[in-house]
Amino acid sequence: MNIKGIKDNFRDFWGEFSKVKYGMVGLVLFFIFLLIVVLEPILIPFPEAGKRWRDITYWEDNPKNAAPAWTNWFTTKKLTPQSILDDPEIKEKKAANTQVLEAVFKYDYFYDVPPIDLILRATGKGLINMVIELERPDGLTLEVTKKSIKLSSEAPIRVSLDKEGTSMVGEFLKSYEDPVILQGISMSTVKPVEVFFVQAQNRLLDNPVPLKGEYRIKLTSVAVGSNSFLKEPEITVAGRVFGLMGTDASKRDIWSGVIAGTKWALLIGLLTSAVAVVIGVFYGVTSAYFGGTVDQVMMRLYEIFQSIPLLPVMIVVSAVFKPSIWTMILMMCSFFWVSSVRTVRSMGLQIKEETYVEAAHALGASNRRIIFKHMVPQLIPYAFASMALQVPVSIVYEASISLIGLGDATIVTWGQILHDAMQGGAVLQGIWWWIVPPGLFIAIMGMTFAFLGFAMDTILNPKLKTR
Amino acid sequence: MSEFILEVENLKKWFPIKRSLGELLRGQRRWVRAVDGISFKIKQGEAFGLIGESGCGKTTTGKLIMKLLEPTDGQIVFKEKDVTCLNSEELQEYRRGVQMIFQDPYASMNPRFRIREVLSEPLYIHKIGTTEKEKMKLAAKALQEVKLTPPEEFMDRYPHMLSGGQRQRVATARTLILSPSFVVADEPVSMVDLSTRAELLQMMKEVQHVLGLTYLYITHDLSTARYFTDRIAVMYLGKIIEMGSADEVIDHALHPYTKALIAAVPEPVSGKVGIIKEVPIKGEIPSAAEIPQGCRFHPRCLYAKPECWDQEEPELFEAEPGHFVACRRYKEIKKDSINEKVG
Repeated sequence: MNIKGIKDNFRDFWGEFSKVKYGMVGLVLFFIFLLIVVLEPILIPFPEAGKRWRDITYWEDNPKNAAPAWTNWFTTKKLTPQSILDDPEIKEKKAANTQVLEAVFKYDYFYDVPPIDLILRATGKGLINMVIELERPDGLTLEVTKKSIKLSSEAPIRVSLDKEGTSMVGEFLKSYEDPVILQGISMSTVKPVEVFFVQAQNRLLDNPVPLKGEYRIKLTSVAVGSNSFLKEPEITVAGRVFGLMGTDASKRDIWSGVIAGTKWALLIGLLTSAVAVVIGVFYGVTSAYFGGTVDQVMMRLYEIFQSIPLLPVMIVVSAVFKPSIWTMILMMCSFFWVSSVRTVRSMGLQIKEETYVEAAHALGASNRRIIFKHMVPQLIPYAFASMALQVPVSIVYEASISLIGLGDATIVTWGQILHDAMQGGAVLQGIWWWIVPPGLFIAIMGMTFAFLGFAMDTILNPKLKTR
Repeated sequence: MSEFILEVENLKKWFPIKRSLGELLRGQRRWVRAVDGISFKIKQGEAFGLIGESGCGKTTTGKLIMKLLEPTDGQIVFKEKDVTCLNSEELQEYRRGVQMIFQDPYASMNPRFRIREVLSEPLYIHKIGTTEKEKMKLAAKALQEVKLTPPEEFMDRYPHMLSGGQRQRVATARTLILSPSFVVADEPVSMVDLSTRAELLQMMKEVQHVLGLTYLYITHDLSTARYFTDRIAVMYLGKIIEMGSADEVIDHALHPYTKALIAAVPEPVSGKVGIIKEVPIKGEIPSAAEIPQGCRFHPRCLYAKPECWDQEEPELFEAEPGHFVACRRYKEIKKDSINEKVG
């Protein structure tokens, strides 16, 4: 067929397709998924989420099991969301052998429940003396910590104000809190950050009143030595609510995980189902068309494949080789093709007896022509429906393999997130934001392909045509 | 060149029946004798009718001639060439010369094909016409031959968008596009509206004269057979029991089965509508797996005598010039029926 013919065919097809509403919904969803894959670096706050999903240091500044930030809209007590203060006012002075850097971070606090921690991050080298002060809206200035660090080479610096502030908070409490209460508690149970953000008054520990307004965190560092320096300071406010979809028990951002998992879900689902269904359709049609001994041999071979349980095979293969997504796809392809064979074969047996196949024989059509022109096109709607069903199956299978710890450790998939949620007891603890997003994404992706499949069925099956 | 384009000699098609375990162990085989030794010759340019009830083997005969089925025994000679066993190249060549029109015009076309694809399929198979344009020209010409004008209007339609008569015209066009010399028409009008039947048959006749075609017209409908064919063979349970010119067979039927068939034709003529006809036949057609002893028609024949089932099956013989019959008592029966009429 020439290019114009293909163009015309496509235009016809599109004309038909655009009339099927759920088909359009499926197509839109499919393009959204494609867009997510393309725009992944822009969409996620943690660009290395996919690669460093299992690297705990990558996630250490995040709160644990934090609900999504938008849950604040539905509560009266507003929790502090996660944020990063990366735009300080910096004053730098360089003397002969010392670098003096002064950075002032402004933070507008207008929540009811204070953050979990304030974490200072910077890069430095040599001997560095740091002073961190907190200026509160009520005019009080707290010297949170004085710290001296020695680094032999350029390295990241991480200071948790919650940990470092304990001694200062003790002093602060002595001036304001009721001594009777202070005697009754151990200082180790007091969280300094919670004290930073409450009004300085009696009984602030058991009846805290949040102090709202602009806080200024001032970092003064003196790097001593010719090569010593400190640069790029920033403060992470570790909130109690986090991002679009919250965090899991390992402090990982679920939104980043889900988005980074989209491309793998699409890949696993589409590739596996497409390869498997194509093999299955041709296998089934060939078996049905030739019949007799060919059919017998092919069906026995099919039964062997069908009776081998895939999971143990995949476990063995994953154990022998390095667990990898590609081995998994290969294994699934070489076993999933059986799912469509039976139906395709029985449909093929039916089509084979149709008069138009006989008419094609009478015209002198070759076996190949009859299989490819007359039989396979009839099976395309079924193939698409079958593919659509296979997409979620493949994703779930991948998740099952991940569940027993044989998933590809270099990537993150929806199945793995769900698996972690199950292991982390997300259901018992009510951490719904750990389960719902990956679950919902799997469901929507399944729905997308089901819609596409049904729409194709409506168009490609002329008997269902309305005109 | 011989005056006969197609000669069929003692053609047989027996289908094996699935055996039970007992039969398998005893080595028994049973057969459905769909076509059980038939012979006929079709002249160049004539329309030859093959008539019979459903299940008598007439369609199987058509398929055997089309080489859609392999015969169990016998010989088919086409244009003085034995075509019973062909290799794939010879078969391809044979199929350019012999084509078939199927009974159900909707089922005989792939519902996913547009008319242009239906018509160009034989051209692709036989590699006729080099360009798409040339193929479309041939397709348009074929549509004009079957009086579907203007052709452009039909080219892009699907079979389900056409009426039964139009579909059958397209099916005819598809067979004609290869310019065959012999066409097997398997009940081409039985699924078409009565009103368009005559028109369709007229078209087929015209095409026959213009292109010099020979038809094998398979039907159960005596009235269209008489209208369309020159000679008729009547089949019963896989055998031809009467054969002759169309007028002779229908006006002066010799075999009791033919007589019964003719008597069964309803006549929409005033005065005859209300009468429920008494058809001179009894019972149902027996299974082709268990063909009766002797004359295979005797269980249903009103004139059957012991000689009919005791003696050998009667062979087809020339009772009158050009009129063959397979009944040993046809003369007595003829007398009987005359007596009845007189009485």
